[in-house]
Order: sequence, then C-alpha cells, then structure tokens
Amino acid sequence: MTSQKSSTESLVLQSEKGTKQNVGKRVPRIEDLRIVKGKAGYTDDIEMADQHYAAFLFSPYAHARIKSIDVSKALELPGVSLVITGKDIKELTKPMSSRAATKSPTSHYILAVDKVRYMGEPVAAVVARSKYVAADAAELIEVEYEPLKVVASIEDAMKKDAPLIYPELDTNEMISDHFDFGDVKKAFSEADKIVKERIRIHRYASTPLETFVVNAYYDPTREELTIYASDQQPGRTVQSVERTIGIPSSRIHLIVPPVGGGFGYKLAIWQYVALASLMSKMVGKPVKWVQTRTESLYAFHRPRGYMDAEFALRKDGKVLGMKLVDWQADANWPYVAALYSLIKFANMSGTYEIRNYSFEYHCVATNDPPIVQDRGVGKPFMAFALERMMDFSADALGIDRVKIRQVNSVPAEKMPYTAGSGEVYESGNYPEAIRRALEHSQFQKKLEEQAKFRKEGRYVGIGIATGIEPGTSNLGYYFLSKAGDPDYNGAGQMATVEVAADGVVKVNMNGPEIGTGHVTTIAQVVADVFGITPEEVNVDAWYDSIHGHLTYAGTYSNAFNDVYLGAVLTASNQLKDKILNIASSLLKEDREELYLANNYICKLENDKEKRLVGLKEIARISYGRLLSFPKGEEPGLKVTAGYINRTAKPFVRSDFNVQLTHSNSVHVCFVEVFPENWNIKILDYAIVHDAGKVINPGIVDGLAIGSTVSGIGGALYEEFVFDEQGTNLSLTFGDYLKPTAMESPEIRVDQMESPAPNTVLGTKAVGEGGAITSLAAVAGAVEDALKPFNVKITGLPITPEKIWNMVKDTPEYKKINKEGQ
Amino acid sequence: MTRMVTVNLKINGKQYSEEAEPRLLLVHFIRDALKLKGTHIGCDTGHCGACTILWDGKPVKSCQILAVQAEGANIMTVEGLEPEDGKLSIEQESFRENFAQQCGYCTPGFLMMTRYLIRNNEEMTREEIREKLHGNYCMCTGYQQIVDAVQDAQRKYFATKK
Repeated sequence: MTSQKSSTESLVLQSEKGTKQNVGKRVPRIEDLRIVKGKAGYTDDIEMADQHYAAFLFSPYAHARIKSIDVSKALELPGVSLVITGKDIKELTKPMSSRAATKSPTSHYILAVDKVRYMGEPVAAVVARSKYVAADAAELIEVEYEPLKVVASIEDAMKKDAPLIYPELDTNEMISDHFDFGDVKKAFSEADKIVKERIRIHRYASTPLETFVVNAYYDPTREELTIYASDQQPGRTVQSVERTIGIPSSRIHLIVPPVGGGFGYKLAIWQYVALASLMSKMVGKPVKWVQTRTESLYAFHRPRGYMDAEFALRKDGKVLGMKLVDWQADANWPYVAALYSLIKFANMSGTYEIRNYSFEYHCVATNDPPIVQDRGVGKPFMAFALERMMDFSADALGIDRVKIRQVNSVPAEKMPYTAGSGEVYESGNYPEAIRRALEHSQFQKKLEEQAKFRKEGRYVGIGIATGIEPGTSNLGYYFLSKAGDPDYNGAGQMATVEVAADGVVKVNMNGPEIGTGHVTTIAQVVADVFGITPEEVNVDAWYDSIHGHLTYAGTYSNAFNDVYLGAVLTASNQLKDKILNIASSLLKEDREELYLANNYICKLENDKEKRLVGLKEIARISYGRLLSFPKGEEPGLKVTAGYINRTAKPFVRSDFNVQLTHSNSVHVCFVEVFPENWNIKILDYAIVHDAGKVINPGIVDGLAIGSTVSGIGGALYEEFVFDEQGTNLSLTFGDYLKPTAMESPEIRVDQMESPAPNTVLGTKAVGEGGAITSLAAVAGAVEDALKPFNVKITGLPITPEKIWNMVKDTPEYKKINKEGQ
Repeated sequence: MTRMVTVNLKINGKQYSEEAEPRLLLVHFIRDALKLKGTHIGCDTGHCGACTILWDGKPVKSCQILAVQAEGANIMTVEGLEPEDGKLSIEQESFRENFAQQCGYCTPGFLMMTRYLIRNNEEMTREEIREKLHGNYCMCTGYQQIVDAVQDAQRKYFATKK
C-alpha cells in the first residue's frame, strides 16, 4: 500500500471550489520568463555605488609554514585600498570551530594564520577599485613558505609519526565511533557465505556554473552590514559571520538573489562572506568578490575514502548482517568535518531489510582540500558501497543480481519501516519499484540483446541499483558530539505570505532559490489555496534575512518539499483564514459558506458561484480604510509562519532518525565498452523514482535526470587528481572533466508516487536521488559488460585507462588482440 | 595610468562607444562597461560556453577575446533575442516549454547557440544536437530537456519558413 493518511491533515491542501487545481500539473516555470531573457539577476549582476573589488592570494602548497608575507608592493599599486593577512585576521576574528566532530581545532582561521593546510587556502586578501587591479595586487604579495611534509592519504595521516594537520589536537583523527545494531555476531556465525571487499570513493564535486559571489557593504551611518551572496544556507551564514567577525546578527542584512546552481557547494561560502564583510568594514566601501573557476576547483569537494565491508549471507541471497568500517578524509575544515562519516550510518541498509549491522567510522584530517556537503553528502558513497556489495554477494552465491535485491527489499507490508539504526522510512514500496524498473527498462529484452551482442564480440552490460534518498536533515548527529540540545536543526523553516495593498498574493519562502523550481512549485501550491492561477502569485526569488527565518535557513538536505512547503502552506492557510474572517464580518455572511476564487470572496447560491467582494477591496480595507475594518482583527494582510516536521525526534543512541523523509529510486543502466579505446557509452538509462506526491512533473523529471547525470560524471569522468605533494592538478574544466551533452545519455524516468504521511502534501526529497543511485548502476553495468575479462570494479571513476589496466593481462584481452592482428 | 582605448561596436542593433583597457576581456566589457548582464562567466577558459554571443551571426565565446578586438563588430547577446512585440523568441519559448533550464545560469549561452544552430543546419537528430552543444556546459539539467528544446525550436523555426 502506498497511500497513507496524512498526520498533518489540517494543513492539507484543498483546492477552492470552482477553480482549477494546479498541484500535479506540468505548469511552465514562471522564473523562466526572466531566465530566458537574461534577466534572472544573479549576485554578480548587482553593483553597488562606489563598488570595490576583492581578490585573494591562495596557497600554492598543500602543507607549509608561512615564514613571512611582504605586502608593500601590493599596497603601492594605484587603486589598492587594503591588503590583509593572517596577522590581521588573528587579531580581528575568531577561528572556525567544529560543528559535528568531537575534537575542535583552535588554529584554523578564515585566512591562513602561520601555516597553510591545503593548496588553495586563502593566505592574503586585497581590496581595490577594480577587479583587474585587485588581481594584479594579489600577485604582488610576496610570501615566503617553508614546505612541511605533506599528509597525502588516510594511511599517511594515521601513521604514528605523521605530521599533524592540527597540532593542538595531538591526532589527525577528529572523530570516530562504532555502532552495533541487532546481533551482528550471530548473523555472521549463521552465514552460509561471507563476502568481503574494500570499496573506494574518489574526490569529485558538483561545480555550479555560477561560482561564489559575495558583495558586502558595512554602512557606518546605520551600523548595519548588507550582504548580497550566492549562499545556500544564509540563516547559518549570518550566525557564522556574527561569531567570526563580531557583528551582531541583528545588524546583518543578508540577501540571496537567485543562485546559479547550489548542489551543496554554496554551503561553504560563509568563510568568504565573513572576509568580504570584514574588509568592507575596514575600508568603508562595498566589497565584491567573484570567485574564478580555478579558485572554485581548489576546494570544497567530496572527500576521498574507503569502506571495508563484510556481508554475512544466507545461500538464498538474504543478507543476515553487515560489518562496515568507513574511513573518510573529511576533516580538513573544522566547519564540516565528520559530516561524510556521520551521515551514512543511519541509512546504511538502504532499501533493504538488514537488521544486524555494525558501522564504524573514522574522520581523518589530511592535506586534501576542505570538503562540503556536496549533493547527497555521504549518501552517494553509502549507496555505491552497499549496491556494489549486493552485486558481489550475488556473484559469490551464484544468484541473479536482480534476485538478491528482491530477496532483501523491505516488504511493502512492513512500511512504515524502522531500520536497525532507528531511521524511520515513513513511506515507499521498494519491491514494487524494482518490479516497475524491470518493466520500464525492458530488462528482459535487454538481456536478450546483450546475449546477441556478446556473440558478436561486443561488450555490453546491464547494471541495476536501488537507492534511498533521504530528505530533511534532523541534523541529529550533532548530538553525538555536543552535549544537550544542539543549537541547530533542519526540521523546520519559515515563510512569508501576504496579500499586498494592491490585492496581489505575494510569497517569500525565506530561503534561497537555487534553480530547483521553487518559485513555480510554491506558486502552484499557493494558487490552489487562494483559488487563483500560479501566474497571479508573485513569488519573490530573493532570500532576505529581514523576513523571518530560522538559524538554519537555507536550501539544502532535500528539504524544500517538506519544511519550506510546510511553512508556505501554514502561512497561506493562516492568511486565508484571516481574509475570510474579515470578509465574513464585513459582509455579515456565514464564514463557513465563504471561499476564495479568482480573486473574489465567493459563496454558492443555488449551486451557482456568487462573487461577493474582490480580494483587492479586502486589501484596500485591511491596509487603509481602517474605520471600515472589523474590530477584533489586526490590520494588514501579511503572515510569517514557521513550520516543524513533528516526526523529528531527539537522538537516542539506539534509535536515531537522521532524516525525516525517504524517497527512493531504481536505476537500470545499459552500456557498451569499446575495446578499441576502452571508452564507455551508455546506450539506455531507465529510472523509477518515487519522491511521493509530484507537484510539477516537468520540474521533478528534470531534477531526476540532472542529478543522475551529475552521478554519471562522478562515475565515469570527474576526479580531482593530486600529486604526491598534494598539488591539485585539476584546476580547469580542461582537466576536471564534466559530462557534456555528448556524453550524457537519454534518460527515461518513470515517477512513482508513494506519498509521505509526515509532510503537508505527501511530497518528499527530489534533488539528490540520481546522484545517490547512479554510481552503482553505472559501475555494475560496466563490470557486466567486461564480464569476459572477469574484472571487479570497486572504485571510480571508471576511465579508459583504468579499464585497460584491469583487462590487459587477462586471457580475453590476449584472445581479442590475437584476433585483431 | 593604463592607456585606454575607445571601442566602437554594435550590440543588439545599438551602437556603443566606450573606453576599455587593452587587456579587458570582451565579456567584461559587455557586462561591466555596457551593463548587459545576461551574458555570464562560468569557467574563464573557454570550456563552458556561458559567455557565448553571436558575432556576425556566428557563436563566439566572449571570455576568449579582448574587447579591443571587437572594434566594429556586430554582436548579439541574449538581450537581443526577444522580438520587439514583447513575445518570446522561438528559442526562448522552446526552452521554457521544455523545462530546459534549472538555475538558468548557462541558459543565455545555450540560447545563443540554439539561435545559430537551428538556422544553419538541416533538421538535426538528437545525437547531432548533443554533439553540436558540447561546448556549452549545464550543471543542472543533464542536457536532456535542452536537447528537447533545441529540437522543438528547430521544428518551430522550419514551420515559419513554410
């Protein structure tokens, strides 16, 4: 069963009588009207009067002591008004601290102080009258470094005599922990077979086409800091700026214009927001910084790491238990250290019923650059490791790779299902998703084609993977390291809805618009509440901190569909209620008979709609004609409301909900590998995606496809490569390879709808699914295509060079090369 | 003080004459001197195509050329696509109808490429469209809905020629 009753029934949307329902329709995006005209208005499009520009000098070393910095030549350059270094920063700011890791360094500042810990760490900053002069000045800064021994890997970091990234901590391990769920020992003692493998993940990243952009002005007349920034988590940024540079949050006004792609990358911008703000205060000018592409490729990636996985199997394919030990190089930026380690354990059993498992994690600091919560955070690797192990387990038992997934799927009748970790899967039907995927992908036909191609000597393979796509972070993992009730939680948001004085319904979701269709999605939902068309709803795409917001306000963690829509609906319903109350008093009509339709307050008379008064008129009275305004109501028609997903619960070690909604998907990938050059071509790609209620299929399909292609990039092309000195060798799109339209496959999406019972509309996570599930589907397909060579794929990206190295000593390779001669 | 050079060029049918440093990139000239903000910068190295403009009708990446080299040029940017009647152009309409943009940052570059491609090619297959778009990056959509939009735009364009 996929239909479950909503627990928040009072909020459930009911389309007003006599108006068209918009939720569920493929409404063309309203924001596109501006986008296609080049008038979206991104942060860099905004200029302030007397605009000044910042540039940074970044470290060329991965690990070095800063012996001296000479800024004199930079300061002499005409047009330069300020140069700052770590010396100033140490005096003027507080260091960054850990949020989730138990150990918190005290020496990591927003500009490097005394030493650099990664290539690309900012070492000095310049403010100048033009961006070209600022860049020139940064080049004139002379820094003398004393290179230190580089910690280039997790193994290096854990050696007894390893150099310490943070000497004050006496260790490179920032946090580690061990969880046991169920009876792992018993599971392994009863196993028919045990399969063991080390699965690796490489460094890759989402690279939004718009880089970090910040424009900050400290106005001394109002003692207020105004910031424009391409920021995904502005609520948190305000707090971090306050903490770091000491301007009270009540005096920080942060605006986020439409963001040119987020993907988690822009959760890390706050460090530069703090720097630009500080420099603006110092020079008394508005300071803008536009990050270059190379600067954006220095840092804020996904970490590299590996997982040692051991599966206890019954011979029919049932996974009796798992032992997992996860190592992540995710600690070289205290702010997000440990998040990749921590986010996995609660959802580690994926869409499967695996009751017994142990999960141990180690979060290690190396001289790899900092990480950020990139699309799905640790979940793409979580799913990759789990799904690869499913394939290896099936192979070891001699059973079908589809069969093992069917055997282990959480049965539909067990939903809602509480995983061994305490994570509650509130909705979904995993066996049905597999069944639909087999049908949708024409799996049987693919098998027949594959058999035919193999006979012709073509290397064609099929991969299948399932994936859980959690949304709405409860951020409960802070409970692991911090005592008491942590200061932050992602289970709620605020939104503002008003009927303006001109009678127009206006909404601000009080969160950043990062390209995921929020404007139109909100317009559809609000249109249905007020009985108007989506085009009539004015949804403001700017985040503005002067509207009500929570300290974790931002667009992240796949939470929009839950908490932002919850806040928008709460505010809309409160406002509608108020409007109908006012109308009822004014008209002396029964409140229960009134409804809103087409910008009028209406009622039914003899089954016919009668328009009683216009919304515009109600607005006029509510804002201005106060003598006509009913007693007992407050004038004005503006509501800012907050919303919390009430299924969020405090952390108990044995019962731990990391995220509150769970979408899922099944990917089937069909590939060919060409032995001429070991290139891979995806011939077909089919997805069954269950994100609960779909508000706009055009938007949701696009996110499913786009997130999948981002995963395909990670699986086949993208990798940050470092030399033994920790030098990042992938600093342009010529070296860091993104999939283009040529490499990207045609993807067929089948949307399945199992509504979430704990969200206002039954909607769930949408934006990360493809990035999570695709890695294993692609790897499984390539491995299957290369079956004649008997190779095992345990890491990514699967490049032609890697394939050649795997196959070149195999009998099949010798055979085809002999034939080719 | 840096020597300044006056650059005279035509953009979207309008004549401009503005001073520029000899080293100023054309894309910075368009954005910062002429305040036409629809042309974007995505990579600085000529890979991503966000800064694509049409120069005498042909696509050019404006981050790979200096403003002074554009002396006398006839350029079209995304702001020039919209017909005077306020309706959307065929390309703009097709991109909107097909959900071909998410964050929209790459869209102006894709639209300029589309304007060029649909007018200078016989009916393109999806495979051909994908190949011809390989110099424009989109980080959001996975390209599929962009390919839909280009195909749709070409169909619409050909319909106007009948």
